[in-house]
Amino acid sequence: MEFFKKTLDPIIALTAIAVLDVFLFLIVGAWTVGGGETMMTGLAAQAVIGSENLERIPFWNLVFPPTFGYWKIYISFGMLFGAFVSAIISREFYLRIPKRLSEWVLITVGGLMMGVGIRLAFVCNVSTFFGLTPQMNMGGYLAVSGIIAGAWVGSLIYKRILEG
Amino acid sequence: MSVLGECLIAFVFGSIVGILVQRSRFCNAAALRDAILFKSFRNTKALLIAMIILTIGFTGFMSINEGHAMHFDVGLNQMIGLFIFGIGMVLAGACTVSTWVKTGEGNVGAAWALLFTFIGMFLFSLVWSVNYWPPAPASMTGEPNLEALQFGFANAATLQEKLKVPAVIFGLIQAGVLYAIYRAIKRRENKPAGAAAE
Repeated sequence: MEFFKKTLDPIIALTAIAVLDVFLFLIVGAWTVGGGETMMTGLAAQAVIGSENLERIPFWNLVFPPTFGYWKIYISFGMLFGAFVSAIISREFYLRIPKRLSEWVLITVGGLMMGVGIRLAFVCNVSTFFGLTPQMNMGGYLAVSGIIAGAWVGSLIYKRILEG
Repeated sequence: MSVLGECLIAFVFGSIVGILVQRSRFCNAAALRDAILFKSFRNTKALLIAMIILTIGFTGFMSINEGHAMHFDVGLNQMIGLFIFGIGMVLAGACTVSTWVKTGEGNVGAAWALLFTFIGMFLFSLVWSVNYWPPAPASMTGEPNLEALQFGFANAATLQEKLKVPAVIFGLIQAGVLYAIYRAIKRRENKPAGAAAE
């Protein structure tokens, strides 16, 4: 299939995603990733430390009581599945393992900061750009200014590391 | 709609997104990082076009009270949280979407970033349980609560309600601003290399 042989223009890809997201907004709600990831965190923690121990942490009672029936989880599983199928068909699936210790450190620190940031803000980058801001929610503008400033600081750090 | 129906729709939507993002190599982290560091706007332009479509679509339906708009109080935590997220996203080299998509392609680093995103969320849940900030959605009133650094709730629908102007009008203004940014980027790209240096 021709579609899986060449790189797709991101403008075409994002236009299609935006149109679908409008329909998703009508049916269940706008595209988001952070909420589903938080629910997965709760479910994983429940599996590791047990329901009784998790219930002692107020966050998982008051904000995110773990449940498998939370639709946002399945967006993430869908993305994983879709990307896997697409990578297999286009013969782009292969194990890529970071080689340098510095890469592992950056990814670890970056991942932790992403997790903390999402929970502090109640939103992720997807909710910011594909949900809140297009709904003209005040939080969207606050989040956009935060993420641009963060990306700028992150880029300065990244550049300094690249230069050595 | 049933819970199963919602989950199925979400999975189908996510699968299509996974395919489109995998084929296009779109990444939100790259949309910001590449624009800042390398003055490369491939992903930034796509992000702006999507935001234009979404703004018109969402506010259009909000004008007739349709759709499921996000509804919770906002405050300084959105700015601080996304600031921390923005740094992390650039350092990890992936956003929330591309961590899932790259993991699906066999990228172990992306899977590692995802794992530590979960760990970060869990650590935050422990800290939140000590100070209860930002306030839980159940305690939100929609009104400003400056003690808790919360500004309340406002979106295109509340603007429509207060100003008696259809939400889509505000949406069209925002879409116009986003399009102006898109045009400015296109103009910059079309400028001859010599002219940019002058």
